[in-house]
Amino acid sequence: MELETLLYILVSGLVLGGLYALMAIGLSVVWTTIGVFNFAHGTFVALGAYIAWQVSSSLGGAPGFLLGAVVAPVALFMIGYALHYALVKPFERNPNIVLLSVITTLAAASIIESMIQLIWGPREKQIEAPVNGNLEFAGLSFSAQDILTFVVTLFILAALAWFLKRSRTGRAMRAAAQNREAAQLMGFNVTHLYALTIGIAAATAAIAGLFIGSIRFINPTFGVDPLMKSLIVVIFGGVAHFTSPILAAFIVGLIEAFSVYFFGLYWAPSILFGLMIIVLLIKPEGLFGFQRKTL
Amino acid sequence: MTESLLEIRHLSGGYPPVQVFRNVNLSLFPGESVGLFGPNGHGKTSLMKTLAGLIDPWDGDILFGGKRLNLPGKMKTRLSQHLNYDIFRRRRIDPASVVREGLIYVMQGNLLFPEMTVDEVLAIAPSAAGGRPGIQQMQKQIHALFPRLKERRNSKIRFLSGGERQMVSIAAGLLAMPRLLILDEPTLGLSPKMRLELGAAIQAIRETGLPLLIIDQNVEFLCSLIDRLYLFDHGTITRELDSNHMPDHEQIMSLMFESHA
Amino acid sequence: MKYDPPFQRTNGFPPVLILFGIMLFLPMILTDTYSRHILILVMIYAVIASNWDLSLGYGGIFNFAHMTFFAIGLYGYGLLAKVIGINPWLAILLAALVAVAFAALLSIPILKLEGVYVILVTIAASQLVLKLIVSQSDYTGGTSGMVLLPRLTVGDYKLNSDGRIGYYYAGLFLLGLSTLFLYKFNRSALGRAVKALRDNKYYAISRGVSEPRMRLVTLCASAFFPGLIGGFYGSYVRVASPDVFGLGFLTITLSILLVGGVSSTWGPILAAFLITVLAELLGDYGIWRDISIAALIILVIILYPGGLFAAVQELWNFADKNKTALIAWYRRQYKANARKELTGAEEKMIETRHGTVAVADTKTGAKSIVFIHGNSSCKEIFTHQFHYFSDHYRVVAIDLPGHGVSYNGRPEEDYSVQSYAQMVAEVVQKLDLVDPVIFGWSLGGYVALEYAAAGYPLTAVSISGTSPVSVFPDDMPKGYIPSPHMELAGKRFHSRYEKQKYALNTVGTDKPEAKMFRDAVWRTDGRAREYVFSKLKTIDWPRQTRLLQQGNIPFAMLNGPEDPFINHSYCQSLKYGNIWTGNVITIKGGGHAPFFMKPVQFNHQFRMFLKSLE
Repeated sequence: MELETLLYILVSGLVLGGLYALMAIGLSVVWTTIGVFNFAHGTFVALGAYIAWQVSSSLGGAPGFLLGAVVAPVALFMIGYALHYALVKPFERNPNIVLLSVITTLAAASIIESMIQLIWGPREKQIEAPVNGNLEFAGLSFSAQDILTFVVTLFILAALAWFLKRSRTGRAMRAAAQNREAAQLMGFNVTHLYALTIGIAAATAAIAGLFIGSIRFINPTFGVDPLMKSLIVVIFGGVAHFTSPILAAFIVGLIEAFSVYFFGLYWAPSILFGLMIIVLLIKPEGLFGFQRKTL
Repeated sequence: MTESLLEIRHLSGGYPPVQVFRNVNLSLFPGESVGLFGPNGHGKTSLMKTLAGLIDPWDGDILFGGKRLNLPGKMKTRLSQHLNYDIFRRRRIDPASVVREGLIYVMQGNLLFPEMTVDEVLAIAPSAAGGRPGIQQMQKQIHALFPRLKERRNSKIRFLSGGERQMVSIAAGLLAMPRLLILDEPTLGLSPKMRLELGAAIQAIRETGLPLLIIDQNVEFLCSLIDRLYLFDHGTITRELDSNHMPDHEQIMSLMFESHA
Repeated sequence: MKYDPPFQRTNGFPPVLILFGIMLFLPMILTDTYSRHILILVMIYAVIASNWDLSLGYGGIFNFAHMTFFAIGLYGYGLLAKVIGINPWLAILLAALVAVAFAALLSIPILKLEGVYVILVTIAASQLVLKLIVSQSDYTGGTSGMVLLPRLTVGDYKLNSDGRIGYYYAGLFLLGLSTLFLYKFNRSALGRAVKALRDNKYYAISRGVSEPRMRLVTLCASAFFPGLIGGFYGSYVRVASPDVFGLGFLTITLSILLVGGVSSTWGPILAAFLITVLAELLGDYGIWRDISIAALIILVIILYPGGLFAAVQELWNFADKNKTALIAWYRRQYKANARKELTGAEEKMIETRHGTVAVADTKTGAKSIVFIHGNSSCKEIFTHQFHYFSDHYRVVAIDLPGHGVSYNGRPEEDYSVQSYAQMVAEVVQKLDLVDPVIFGWSLGGYVALEYAAAGYPLTAVSISGTSPVSVFPDDMPKGYIPSPHMELAGKRFHSRYEKQKYALNTVGTDKPEAKMFRDAVWRTDGRAREYVFSKLKTIDWPRQTRLLQQGNIPFAMLNGPEDPFINHSYCQSLKYGNIWTGNVITIKGGGHAPFFMKPVQFNHQFRMFLKSLE
C-alpha cells in the first residue's frame, strides 16, 4: 500500500472520528452527570440537522450554513433543557430512574422522529456545504468541507472541556455530577444544572447533525445510526474521564476507515461490533478507565 | 430574652412511610454553640438533612432568623403509594433557599466531589453567598485555620485523608458565609491527632462568634466545644443540659437510659 | 403440630382460570379474522414482555436482549424451515434452542457488567446480529428480509384456515405454557435465588448463590419462550424482516413491560392487551398514532411509575381495607349479643388517639385485669377468663385497632406495638382502672411488655405465647421455631388457605365452637399485620429486657410446651428478676393459646398468680 493512500484513509478516519466524538460526548456527559442514558440523543442529531437544513436552505450558501450553525444548536439547547423537566425530573427521587428514563427517552425519540416526518416529510435532504473544492497540502488534496468539519469539531470539544473545567457553571455541573447531595448543600439548583447538561448535550448533537447533514443525505429515521455509533464509542472508551469517549471515537473512526478500505463496506460494521464485544470481554469498563461515574 | 436564631417547633419527619423523628423542639440563640448527642441510627442526621432541605418535613416548623424556611402546615398523607407525587407537589423546603439564608450544613462523612481539586471546590463554594461582603476576609481566615489545605490545593478530593476532607467541607461551608454552621460528626473516623487539630479549628471558629450546632459521638470532645447540650434519643429530644451541667461519658450513659423509665 | 409451608398457594389462581377460559371461548364471539389477528399479536407481545420481565424484573438485569432472542427465533425459523426445509414444528423448537444458546453466549460478556453497561452490550449484540443477518443476503434476503416462510399445518389442516383459528389456539397454548413456566420458575428454589440476588446481592452471594451462574440461568430461562414465539410469529406472518431489530419494536415491547409493571408477570400480559388493542384502535391516524401512543406511555410512566400491576395491587388494598371495615361494622351492628354471650360483659367503644376501640368491661371489682389479644385475633378469645375471673376482678379486654369490632386505624400512626401500648394506657386511664394487671397473648405480650416498660401504671404484667427478645432481629430465630408463621404473621394478604392455616395454628383447635376466633383472621386489617411487623425493629427491645431482668414489676409467664411457634426452652433459659414461681409456668396441652385450650389449668394458675400479688 502506498503512503498516500494510507494518509487519505487516516484523514478520513480522523474526520469520521471527530464527528463520532461530537455525537458521543453529549451522551457520555449526560450519563456521567445525571446517571441516565439518553436514547433520544440520536434524534437530537436528526432534529438538529433538519432545523439547520430549514434555515440554511432558505438563506442559501455559506451565510445560510452559518445561520444554521447558530440556530440549530440554540433551538436544540432549549428543547433539551425543556425535555429534562418532562422526561427525567419526575423520577428524581425514584430508585428506578435508569430504567424509567430509558423508556421515556425512547418514547420521546419516537415522538421527535414522527414530528420530523410530519413537518419535513419522508424525502431525503442534504444541507448545502459552505465550502467547496479541495485544499492542497504537501502534494495531497483534501476536501475542504472535511477539514472544516474536523477543525470545528476539535474547537467545540475544546470549548466544552474548558467550560466544564474552568467556568463557574461548568464546575457546578461537575459538582452536581459527582455528589448530588453535597451540591445541593452548597446551594446549587441541581435540577437546573441537570437540565443545562441535557441542553448542552443536545446542542452538540445539533452541530454534529449539521455536519453529517452536509456530508450525507438525511431522512427522518437517520437518528438511529448516530445513536448506535455513540453507543459503540461509549462502550469502547468508557466514561471514566471527559476525554475517554473522545479518544475512543477517533479509534472507532480509524478502525472504520481502515476496515472499509480493506474488507469492504459490508463487513465494516460487523468488524466494529465484533471488536467491541472483544473489548467488553477483556475490559468491560471500556478501554480508558473504570466504571466510576465522574466528569 | 433575645430572639432565637434557629427555632425548631414540633418538627417530625422521615422517609415516607417510615417516620424517623417526631416532635423535635430546639432553639439556638445568636452567638451560641449547641451540641446534639445521641446514639447512632436514631435520626439525628435525618433531622439535620431535613433542616438543610434534603428531606421534606412532615409536620412542624423551622424558623431561621425569624423567617420560616418550610411551607406551612402538615404534609398530606398519600392516598396512593405509587402515584408520582413529585410532579404535583412542591418540595416543602428548598435546599437552595436554606443555603441563601445562611444555614449551612456540613454533612457527615462527606465525600464532597471526589474528582475536583481543593481549589476548585473552594472556588465554587462562595457562589451560594451571592456576593455577600467579607468573602475575601473569610478566605484569608480559612488559610489561617487550615494551613494544610494550602499545601494540598491542587490535589483531588479523593486523594485526601479523612481529616483533610473534613477540613475542605468545613472551609467550603464557611465560604458560603453562614449565619449558622451545622457540623455533623466532624471527627468521625479520625485519628486522635487529627481530632485535636480539627477541634482547635472548630474552637477558633466558635471564638469568632459564629453560632454552631455540633453533633458528635465523643461526649468529652463535644462538651469542650459547646455552651448547651441536647440529648437525642429514639427520634426526639429527651433532655437539655446547660454549660454548668456538662456530663462526662458515664453520666451521659445513665442519663440516656434513665430517660426511658 | 407440624406447620406445613403454604407458599405454593395464592389468590391468583381462579382469576387466571377465568381469564384463560374467556380467551378460550373468545373466538366463538370474535369470528372475524382481523380481531383474531389482534389477539394473536397480543399473545406474542405478552410472551416476549413477560419473559423479558423474568430477567429484567425478577432478575434485576437491565437488558435489551429479548428482542434479539425473538429475532433469532424468527430468522432461525426462516432459515431452518425455508432454506434447509425441515418440518416447521421442529424448526420452531430448534430456533428457540438457538435463541437459548445465543443467550448463553451473550451472558459471558454480561457476567461482569453492571447497570447501564448491560443495556449497552445487549443493544450492541442485537446490532451485531442484525449486521450479520443483513450481510448474508443470499440466505436472509438482506435488508428486504425473507418472505413466504412455510405455514404451520396439522396433517393437511392449515392453521390459518377458518379465520386463523388454529393460530389463535396455538398462540394461546404457547402463552399458557410460558406463563405456567414463569409461575413455576419464580416459585422454585432457583427463582428465589434469582430474586435474592436482585434484592440483596452481597448477602445472597455470601449465602452461596453464585451470581454468574444465576445470570446465565436467568438469561437462558428467559430466552426460550421469546425464541419460540419468534418462530411462531415467523410461521404466522410468513415474513422475517430486519424491522424486528428496530427501536420502534423495542419501544413498544419495553413500554408493555413497564406500563404493565416489572416483577409481576401478569402486568405485562395485561398491558400487552391494552396497548396492542389501543394501537389498533388508533390505526387510522397514521403518524399521529405513534405520537399519541408514545406520549401516552410517557404520561403513564411519569404519573404512575409502578405500572398496571401496582395499580391492581393498590385497588386490592383499597378493597381489602374497606372489606375488613365493613365486616367490623356489620359485627358492631348485628352481632353484639353473640359477643355478650361469650364475655358476659358490657361492650363499649372508647375513643383514643389511636382510633376508636371496642372494650369489653365487667365493671365490678376493685382490682382489674386487662387482657390484650394477639395478632389477627379478637378480645372474645378470653371468654373463659371473663367467666372465671369476673367474680372477684374487673375483667377488661380490648380489641386492638384493625382487629375485632374496633375501627381500622391509620397504618402509619396506629399500627405498631408502641401505639397499641399507648392505646391500652389511654383505655386504662379512661376507665379509671387503678394499677391493673396486664395480660398479653402473643403479639399482645409485646404490647403488655411495652406498656410496662414505658412506665404506665400497673400492678403486674403477664404474658403467654410470647418470647422476650433483647436483640432484634438476632433473637427472633432463637425465640421462635423457624416456620413460615413469621412471614404469614406479617403478611398483608392471606390466601384462603393461608388464612385457614394461620388461624388453626394460632387458636390451636379446629372445633366448630372456636370458628369465631379462626374467623377473626378474615376481619383483621391486613395493613395492621404488615405495619406492626415491619415496625418491630423500632421497638426499644433492651428496655423490655431490662424491665424483666430488674424485676421491679411482678411478672408471670404461662406457656404451652407444645406451642407451634415459640421456643419454649428459650423462654425458660432467659433470666428474669421477679418471675412468679421462679420460672415459666408450663400448661400441658395449651398450645399457643393455653388460656383458651386449657382454661381450667390456666385459670387456676393465673388466679394463684393474682393472689400472690395481694
